[in-house]
Amino acid sequence: MTRIVVDPLTRIEGHLRIEVEVENGVITDAWSAGTMARGWEKILQGRDPWDAPYVTSRVCGVCEGVHTIASNQAIEDAFGIELTEAGRLMRNLFSAGYYVHDHFIHFYVLSALDFLDIMAIASYEGSDPGLLAVKSKIVGLVSAGDTSPFTPRYTPDEFSVNDPETVTTLVSHYLKAIELKAKSQKMLSYLTGIQPHPNALMPGGCTATPSVEVLQDLRKLWQEQADFVNNVYVPDVMAVGYGPLLPLAASGFGATNGNYLAFPMLPQGGSASAGDISFGGSNPMFRGGVVKANGERASRTDISNLTVEDVDYSQITESVTYSWYDYPAGVDALHPSEGVTDFNLQKQDAYSFLKAPRYNAETMEVGPLARGMVNQFPELVDFFNAGGREGVVARHLSRAVISKQIINDGLAWIDRLIEMRLAGPLVGMNEKPVPKTGRGMGVWDAPRGALGHWIEVDNWRIKNYQMVVPSTWNAGPRDENGVKGPYEQALIGAPVPDLDNPINVVRIIRSFDPCIACAVHLIDPHTNQRKVVKVA
Amino acid sequence: MDIASLRKPELTRRDFMKVAGMTAAYFGLSQALTPQIVQALEENNGKAAVIWLEGQSCTGCTESFLNNLEPTASSILLDTISLRYHETAMAASGHQAETALEETIAEGGYVLVIEGSIPLAEDGAFCTVAGRKFTDIVRDTARNAAAIICVGSCATYGGIPRSGPTDAVGYLFRGKELHHYFDDVGPKPVINLPTCPVHNERLTATIVHYLTFGTVPELDQYNRPYAFYGKIQHDNCTRRGNYETGRFVTDFGDPNQHGYCLILKGCKGPIARQDCWNRKWNNRGNYCIDAGHPCVACSEPDFYEDTSPLYAHDYDFGLPPL
Ligand code: SF4
Ligand code: SF4
Repeated sequence: MTRIVVDPLTRIEGHLRIEVEVENGVITDAWSAGTMARGWEKILQGRDPWDAPYVTSRVCGVCEGVHTIASNQAIEDAFGIELTEAGRLMRNLFSAGYYVHDHFIHFYVLSALDFLDIMAIASYEGSDPGLLAVKSKIVGLVSAGDTSPFTPRYTPDEFSVNDPETVTTLVSHYLKAIELKAKSQKMLSYLTGIQPHPNALMPGGCTATPSVEVLQDLRKLWQEQADFVNNVYVPDVMAVGYGPLLPLAASGFGATNGNYLAFPMLPQGGSASAGDISFGGSNPMFRGGVVKANGERASRTDISNLTVEDVDYSQITESVTYSWYDYPAGVDALHPSEGVTDFNLQKQDAYSFLKAPRYNAETMEVGPLARGMVNQFPELVDFFNAGGREGVVARHLSRAVISKQIINDGLAWIDRLIEMRLAGPLVGMNEKPVPKTGRGMGVWDAPRGALGHWIEVDNWRIKNYQMVVPSTWNAGPRDENGVKGPYEQALIGAPVPDLDNPINVVRIIRSFDPCIACAVHLIDPHTNQRKVVKVA
Repeated sequence: MDIASLRKPELTRRDFMKVAGMTAAYFGLSQALTPQIVQALEENNGKAAVIWLEGQSCTGCTESFLNNLEPTASSILLDTISLRYHETAMAASGHQAETALEETIAEGGYVLVIEGSIPLAEDGAFCTVAGRKFTDIVRDTARNAAAIICVGSCATYGGIPRSGPTDAVGYLFRGKELHHYFDDVGPKPVINLPTCPVHNERLTATIVHYLTFGTVPELDQYNRPYAFYGKIQHDNCTRRGNYETGRFVTDFGDPNQHGYCLILKGCKGPIARQDCWNRKWNNRGNYCIDAGHPCVACSEPDFYEDTSPLYAHDYDFGLPPL
């Protein structure tokens, strides 16, 4: 038995350390740990509630806006604010546009290098001028003896794509994706002021007042994103998913135990009321729900008739048995609205700063695959019929499907905004004063999965602020029953034939699109200490 | 086939021209200097080594850097610099990533970019990478660096994490005061580029300026380039007329108040030194005040601890009462 540590696990957001045990070339046990903390909830205690969306946006600069949205919703719930139609549309448009570039950047820039033998470009013999330019760039780097940041890298294996045409095409799309992300950020700044970090999304809606000309330019830029998603991103994912990666997909590589949780997002109805799970509950584009495991992991062969339960938000708890925190004696799990953050560095057997979120006492995979399962995407059903299974490839495929629906349906929102703007000024804000006391919950299905913020206001100030974030659901540790977290489940059984080349570890973890700065945000204010993570 | 003949110099040259023209413009230099900048970039073969460290960061500054459109971020990454270590962008993980870092440090003479604050509490244990404390990584990497560029509010002055329990600081400063924690590294050119996140154009132009002239631009007492941080938002604001005539936003939801001065909603424009009002953000897309959001002075060392609450008018600017 050998133990392998991958630290830093790169091309993700934040600092993540993964440790696995390998026996006879297969992973038999796994631990994941975040290695950085800033103390976010403590920073917010005692502050003006209006600060919370600005501050929590900075929990993560990659999935920035989703914290802003969840935080605004929690405050709107506590203050009793209903959004105006313009406010809802602008917030939706921000979230939608951000979602799409986040997903294609994850595919091309963060994940593709795990599946591409980039040096195959040197053998490209075609005549496409765009691809030849890419070839000359990469070959130029090679001949100059400097190929960073593409090297060093893990050695390509039998699942690496090495067809020169495919690899060269995908690298050209890697470069194009970076450019289109910058353009997407420009488009979103029309609604938010600056990107990343959407300052103008505030409690009560959005302070931006774009002109008709600006909205028309936004529409043009949106259409360019849609063209890329429809003509490049989705076909690329389908081509590798149904092509070279299908055997990997069929093996259930990187599947969790098969429990999925998604929250609702992108409301499409009239103005949403604070009562129905903030504005996420009003006729969402993607519904929330829970799909329960069916026994053996990744054993589903047909997902066209899954039982989907409604989310009961009171069933969410966090456990700390293997985390560096103490709960009151006799308490195993607490709802986040009653969350406690008491650090205990001496705790026996603890190995993570992440708490262990559970739904009805069970682990849940959250994120694109959960959204796809809960919403029963036809494209996902087809993929299963073609032999695909839960796991790494299905996650990538779900992202592409989500992006396609969002970017195409979003055009109608822009048209509606233009129509409203032609009729008069856009009123994007509905402002209410801070109440003396109040409680609120804001939920949103972020690109990386179910996100919840809980706020308690007392004496017009924040008394308690808790976030349960997607990467905590997925990357959290074992619970009081010894049940492993989803990352840990997903790693077990994966082949690692060469101990010096644990490429499958990073493929699995990156398929979740980890956001570790989000996950590790708690710290005790009294001990001011973190434990150096040692895995027993 | 001869690999070298596959290079397309004209493509690279055009990219360099863009970078050079932009740098001259951003620093207010004569465009006549453009050829000199292009030449410097070409002689370099466009490949100055860069190490980019992320401490207590949210990766927002990396995101912002990648938002460059003129020239595109990928042309900077592939033609202008040699990015040897960057956790979010590099192909390598684990030991390979560590080796790349060690080898570049041994070579020396690179530009070090720091993103994210540096936690000093508990001897640096709040942030570790590959089992090493971030404070030690910063010290070892700074020692052989030719110049240090701190990006964003966190790496410059501590940013929002400074308000937390980890004693989060910038490379030189804790808020407005020098902390001297890295004095043993010896004197280094340190350029601070605050705002939350860093502005992509300020960063790109600073890197190229350094590569071209080998010197740092003129800096203020908080190590910010005057070219970007020499003027005050409030003195240049398009809403200044409304400030003078007493038209203030008091209710964001009132369309009659669109475009009014935001000071009663907490705007910190009177202390914010930057050129956001002129440069705007996201390739001239927009910026905070044009989007109806008060300036929170994220360009200042006081941010965020001393500028909170962000949206209340209770900061003493020393201005005459409204
Ligand atoms: S207070 Fe702010 S909004 Fe008002 S004029 Fe000054 S900088 Fe502009
Ligand atoms: S306008 Fe003010 S708040 Fe906005 S980025 Fe510039 S300095 Fe920061």
